[in-house]
Amino acid sequence: MKILVIEDDPSLREIICRSLEKERYITEIAPDFRTALQKTADYSYDCILLDIMLPDGNGLDLLKALKEQHKKENIIIISAKDSLEDKVSGLNLGADDYLAKPFHLAELIARVKSVIRRNHRDGINLIEFGNIQIDPDHFQVVIADQAIELNRKEYDILLYFIQRPERVINKMTLAESVWGDHIDQVDNFDFIYTQVKNLRKKLSEAGATAELKAVYGFGYKMTLQSV
Amino acid sequence: MKLIYRILVRLSIALLVLLAIWGVLFYLAVIDEVNDEVDDSLEDYSELLITRALAGETLPDHSDGSNNYYFLSKVTPAYANTQNHIRYSDEMIYIKEKKETEPARILRTIFKDKQQQYYELTVSVPTIEKQDLQEAIWNWMLLLYITLLLLILIINTWIYYQSMRPLFVLLKWMDQYTIGKTRTPPDLQTKITEFQKLNDAAVRVVDRNQTIYEQQKQFIGNVSHELQTPLAICQNRLEMLAENENLNEEQLTEISKIQQTLSYLIRLNKSLLFLFRIENGQYQDPCQICLNDLIRTQLEDYQEIFRYKNIEVEWNPQNNLTVCMNEILATALISNLLKNAFVHNVSSGKIHIETTDSHLIICNTGRHEALDSGRLFKRFYQGKTAGEGSTGLGLSIAESICKLYHLQLRYEYNGMHCFHIE
Repeated sequence: MKILVIEDDPSLREIICRSLEKERYITEIAPDFRTALQKTADYSYDCILLDIMLPDGNGLDLLKALKEQHKKENIIIISAKDSLEDKVSGLNLGADDYLAKPFHLAELIARVKSVIRRNHRDGINLIEFGNIQIDPDHFQVVIADQAIELNRKEYDILLYFIQRPERVINKMTLAESVWGDHIDQVDNFDFIYTQVKNLRKKLSEAGATAELKAVYGFGYKMTLQSV
Repeated sequence: MKLIYRILVRLSIALLVLLAIWGVLFYLAVIDEVNDEVDDSLEDYSELLITRALAGETLPDHSDGSNNYYFLSKVTPAYANTQNHIRYSDEMIYIKEKKETEPARILRTIFKDKQQQYYELTVSVPTIEKQDLQEAIWNWMLLLYITLLLLILIINTWIYYQSMRPLFVLLKWMDQYTIGKTRTPPDLQTKITEFQKLNDAAVRVVDRNQTIYEQQKQFIGNVSHELQTPLAICQNRLEMLAENENLNEEQLTEISKIQQTLSYLIRLNKSLLFLFRIENGQYQDPCQICLNDLIRTQLEDYQEIFRYKNIEVEWNPQNNLTVCMNEILATALISNLLKNAFVHNVSSGKIHIETTDSHLIICNTGRHEALDSGRLFKRFYQGKTAGEGSTGLGLSIAESICKLYHLQLRYEYNGMHCFHIE
């Protein structure tokens, strides 16, 4: 799997590449519009991470050019602009996803995986880890071939972790993405413990081979149970 | 005080003083003229009498029917030496024919005949009643004053409003001006230099303010955008660091703390950007939104998150409160107000929500003192209960949203801290 990272900031570019390489992706970089245009013309990629604001051009123009050439690459826009209009215009131009800076690396990886998966399985969108399967289109969770019932928050938490397996997730980050922006100024995270505790119980009762491990003082991590 | 009143009062006072002085001078002039004439005739009369007396001719009757009188009497030389030989005076005399006393002008002349005998001749002519003259002049002055005043006031007012019309146009224009909104400069239609200059100055000031405002707004927007990338780098490097298997618990806790501060920074930046966009009018597309539904879903979340505070929520949704707003903004508004009510609440406190079809009231228990309502909605104003991680922008955002839709957001303290939206 080859991914082209079009980003002008060297530091951010390096982090993204390192993080992707950890997931066994092959990365190529393009620091500016010209290089990006050249590389996309010469090679094909599985996914392109595209920064909108480039020193010598607009990423949206590159997106237009790619779509005009009928390129099939999945494109995820990474942008400092996070207003709704920017997102809509990006997605309307044919981008597969839009990620606003600053983002979590785990989020980026999950999105990359998601768009590639969508492309490779012809639209059947199943996420698996261990013997857990989630069908995000129908909000269904199957563990060891048995459908189980989760409440909304438990489902959201499980989906979040299963898209980011083997990664340490800060409890703040988790709360932010599951409960939304409501959680700023909260100094007590009991509500997360409660939900995670219930989810763990349901997972173990259903005989899941993956578990949520607490990382003390930090958060959680989804791992396969050591046999 | 309106300028026109000030002008009218001053004009009235000036006119009053001027007319009073003029009235006095006019009276004196008239009296002087009258006396002069009377004195002349008295002189002629007394000369005639003296000539006749000295010539030894018979003198006419004391009164010849013309109301003129004379007396001729002998006086001692001693008296003659102490008195002026020609004296004028105004006196009241009794006229026998008319049987009444009238004001008269009197001339006393002392002369001596060949025998060195001194005589005093008193000649009197009835003259005008000075009291009457004063009264007449006073009455006419008053009438003149009132008529003049009325005319002057009316003409002045008319001229004032006619010639100040460009000023009123300009004032109205400045009144309606709100910074941040572009407007065409006022059309004064005037050839008067002062007004043209005033207009130019006003437009210049407004333009300059506008530019400064735009630049400042742009600057905040740009800074917030430029910060996104470095913030992303910091956050992502920390995340990569946290993935490291060799870290011990203490180090992970430290990283977690840094991440918390960083996420506060990111939130602050996002809130600033959000404010910037609201004030820039970037949220259009209003649609009918039922605030009750918004409150219901958000309330569930907050109750879950703040379960540890054990807060009792009282809410009897009676009417459906629907507003025409952008959905993102409506969500942000409700979220900020609700969050505020939870965050600044005390343990086992209460929240009271009231929705009718025209207003929304959210009250919460908290510290037992009213907040400074003047500064409450200012950016970065932090109450005493604000905890770590509070951006101090929540209420400012709520106010900006309300302002955008011309809703009134008020704060009130009646034992509970209440926020009204109408």
